[in-house]
Amino acid sequence: MSIIRFVNVNKWFKQLHVLKNVSLEIAQGEVVVVCGPSGSGKSTLIRTVNQLEPISDGEIWVIDQNVADHRTDINALRADVGFVFQHFNLYPHLSVLDNITLAPIKVRKQSREAAEQKAVQLLERVGLAHKKDAFPSQLSGGQQQRVAIARGLAMEPKIMLFDEPTSALDPEMIGEVLQVMKDLALSGITMMVVTHEMGFAREVAHRVVFLDHGEVLEQATPAEFFSAPKTDRAKQFLKQILSPMH
Amino acid sequence: MSQYQWDWLVIFENVTDTDEFYYQWLISGLGWTLLIALSAWVIALILGTIIGTARTLPNKFVAGIATAYVELFRNIPLIVQLFMWFFVLPEMVPTNIGNWMKQDMPHPGIITSIIGLGLFTAARVAEQIRTGILALPRGQKNAGLALGLTLAQTYRHVLLPMAFRVVIPPLTSEFMSIFKNSAVAYSITATELFFQMKQITGDYKPANQIEVVTIVGLIYILVAFSANRIMTFIERRVQVPGYISGGK
Amino acid sequence: MQKRLAFLVAAVSASFIGHAQANELTGTLKKIKDSGSITVGHRESSIPFSYLDDAQKPIGYAMDLCWKVVDAVKKELKLPNLAVKLNPVTSQTRIPLITNGTVDIECGSTTNSKERQKQVAFGVSTYVTSVRMLTKADSGVKTLDDLNGKAVVTTTGTTSDRYIKQNEKGHNIDVKNVYGKDHAESFLMVESGRAVAFVMDDVLLAGLIANSKSPKDFMIAGPALSVEPYGIMIRKDDPQFKKLVDDTLIGLMKSGEVEKIYNKWFTQPIPPKNINLNLPMSPQLKEAIKNPNDNGV
Ligand SMILES: Nc1ncnc2c1ncn2[C@@H]1O[C@H](COP(=O)(O)OP(=O)(O)O)[C@@H](O)[C@H]1O
Ligand SMILES: [Mg+2]
Repeated sequence: MSIIRFVNVNKWFKQLHVLKNVSLEIAQGEVVVVCGPSGSGKSTLIRTVNQLEPISDGEIWVIDQNVADHRTDINALRADVGFVFQHFNLYPHLSVLDNITLAPIKVRKQSREAAEQKAVQLLERVGLAHKKDAFPSQLSGGQQQRVAIARGLAMEPKIMLFDEPTSALDPEMIGEVLQVMKDLALSGITMMVVTHEMGFAREVAHRVVFLDHGEVLEQATPAEFFSAPKTDRAKQFLKQILSPMH
Repeated sequence: MSQYQWDWLVIFENVTDTDEFYYQWLISGLGWTLLIALSAWVIALILGTIIGTARTLPNKFVAGIATAYVELFRNIPLIVQLFMWFFVLPEMVPTNIGNWMKQDMPHPGIITSIIGLGLFTAARVAEQIRTGILALPRGQKNAGLALGLTLAQTYRHVLLPMAFRVVIPPLTSEFMSIFKNSAVAYSITATELFFQMKQITGDYKPANQIEVVTIVGLIYILVAFSANRIMTFIERRVQVPGYISGGK
Repeated sequence: MQKRLAFLVAAVSASFIGHAQANELTGTLKKIKDSGSITVGHRESSIPFSYLDDAQKPIGYAMDLCWKVVDAVKKELKLPNLAVKLNPVTSQTRIPLITNGTVDIECGSTTNSKERQKQVAFGVSTYVTSVRMLTKADSGVKTLDDLNGKAVVTTTGTTSDRYIKQNEKGHNIDVKNVYGKDHAESFLMVESGRAVAFVMDDVLLAGLIANSKSPKDFMIAGPALSVEPYGIMIRKDDPQFKKLVDDTLIGLMKSGEVEKIYNKWFTQPIPPKNINLNLPMSPQLKEAIKNPNDNGV
C-alpha cells in the first residue's frame, strides 16, 4: 500500500519540460533517497508532493488524496507532510520555540501549553533544548536545520520530505543533521530525501531513485545502485559524487 | 537699506480687534495638523498593508486592482485629489448626500483631508509593504504553506511581520512626510498649521511674517523629528536579535 | 582749544548736511540712480488694480498710476532710459520684498493700515474699498443676522473673518467660518453651496461676479462691514521718494486725470475678457480724491 504515488506526472516551466512521465510509488514507512545531477528536477519532484509546485499533467496521490485535484484540501494535506528545505527557512522573527509551535497552534488548534511541551520534547530529541529561546540568526546552520526538522515533526506528519537538507551546511555540521535524520528513519516514518549523502543512503534508505533530465532512470536498493548502476548516466553521476574531489 | 527688525515675540501679540493671540492660532493649527496626519496615517497603514499585500497575491485579478489603486493614487497630485474629494465628489453623488457633505457634515475640511491624505499615503505605504514582502527570501512563503498554514495565515504570521521590520526605514520617511503633506489640507478649508501661517502672514497684520514662517517651519521640523524618533524607537523594540536586515 | 575743535566739527558737519539736503539723493531714489533701474512690484490677478494681460504684461488701475510715478522718477533723475524691472508679488510676499529692497514700489491692492505703517509707507490713498458680502441672488441674505447657522467663507490670509466674528458676538448668532485658499476657491464655495456668503472687498467680489459663468446669479449684499484705503506701497523712512510719489498722485487727482483712469478700469470693459465691473466711484473714494491723505486704518 503506497502512501505516495506518482502517475505519469509531467511538469513544464513554460517551454522547459522538467518532469517527464514520472511514475513512482513510495510505501508507508519507506525511506527513499532521490539523487541525480543538478538541474535534473529533484527539487521540483519533491515539491510537487505537497503542491508547493503544481504539476502540469498526471496524478499524485498522497495519503489517498490526489493533490492535483482542486477539491483536495491542500492545507490539511500539507499539515500531514513535513518539509525540510535546503536553506532551513526558519521564521527569523520568531524564537526557536515559536517557530516550532506556530503551525500546531494555528493549524492544529493546539493550546500553547501543549504545543510548547511538545516542542521542548522535540528540541530534546534534536539536542537543542537549551536553545529554545534563541532566534534563528543566533544559531549555526546545523542547529537551524535541526530546529527546522523539529518544526516539521511538531505537526506529527505521516511523511517527511527533505530537499538537500545538508548541502547548504559547512562540512563539520553535516554529521549532526544526518544523525537526526537517521534516528528519524529508524522510527518508521515515511521519508523522501533528496540528497547526495551516499553514506546516509547506504545506511538507512530502502531504495534509491536516480533522476536525470526529469526522468526516473533507475530505482534500486542502495546496495544494488552503488555497486551495479545500470545506466551510463548513473555510472557517470556516481563517479562524480564519490570522487575524492567532491 | 534698513535692516530687518527681528521680533520673535510677535506670535505672543494680540490679534487686532479680538481677544485672541497669534500663538493660540498656531497651537490650534498644530492640533489639527497632528489630528489630520495621525488619523490619515492609521488609514494609510491599514489600507496600505492590505493593498501592498494584494499586489503580491497569486490572484491576478486582485493584484491588478491593487496595482491600479497604487498607480491612480500615487500619480495624481495630492492637492488635486483633495480638491476632487471636496469639490467634485459632492456633485457626483445623489443630491441629498451631496448637500449633506456640503452643509451638515461636521468639520468637512478636516474629515475630507484625513480620508484624502490617508488614501494617498496608503498607495505609497502599499509600495513599501510590497517591496518588503518581495525582499523576503522566497522560501519564507513556502515554509509557511508547507506546514499547512493557509495563505492568509502565512502572510499574517510569517511574511508581514518580517516585511514590516524590513520596511521600517522607508516607512519612517513616509510617516515624516505625512505631516508635511498634511499642509495641503489648507486648500480645502482645514484650519491646520499651514493655514494659520498663511492667515497670520496675510492681511491680518504685517506681524513680522518672516518670524512666523520660521517658527512654523521649526514646528514642522520638530514634528518630523519626533515622528522619526518614534519610528526609531519602534524599530529598536521589534528588532530581531542577531538579524541583519536585508540579509539572506 | 576745546571750543575751537567743537566749532570745527559743527562747521564741517553742517556743511556736509547742507550739501546732502541740497543735492544728495537718499533712499530709494539714490538706489535707483546708483543701479540705473527701478523694480516695480505687481500682482498677477488682482483685477482691475494689477494683473497680467494675455501677453503676461501687468496692467490695471494701480499699474497706470505707477507708470505715472515711474515717469516722474525718470524726470527727477534725468534718466529717460531708466530700466524698469517688473517683479510679481503676492499678498504674502509683498511686504518682505519691499522691506528687503527687492521691490522699490508695489502697485497692487494693498490696504494702508497703521500696523503695516510700522514696516512700510504708503502713497496717498488711490482707492477706498468696502467689505461686503457676495451671495447667490436667490439666497435671501441681506444682513449679517441672516447668516445665523450658516457657513460663511473668507479667503485665507485676509482679515474679513473678523467682521463676522465681531458681529457674531454682538448679535448672539452662530456662524461657521470657513476659508478658501484663494478668492476663486472662496467663490467656488458659494457657487457650489458649501457656504452661503463670501465676505470680501467689494471690488474683488465685483470681479468674481463679472467673471463667473452667470453673473446674474450673484449679488453683492449687506452693509459695508469696513472701509479701507488702498495705497501704493514703498519703503518706510524715505522722505524723498515718498514726496515724489505723493506729488505725482496729488497732481493726477487735482487735474481730474485719476477719474479718467478710474473709469477706464471700473466702469468700462477691461481685458482680458472684456468684462465690465460696473463699480462707480464710491462716496468714500471721491472724498479721498478731494482731500488726498495717507491715513491708515
Ligand atoms: N520556478 C522555476 N521557473 C522556471 N524554471 C525552473 C523553476 N524552478 C526550476 N526550474 C528549472 O527546472 C529545472 C529543474 O530544477 P530543479 O528541480 O531545481 O533541479 P534540481 O533540484 O535537481 O537541481 C532546472 O532546469 C531549473 O532551472
Ligand atoms: Mg534542488
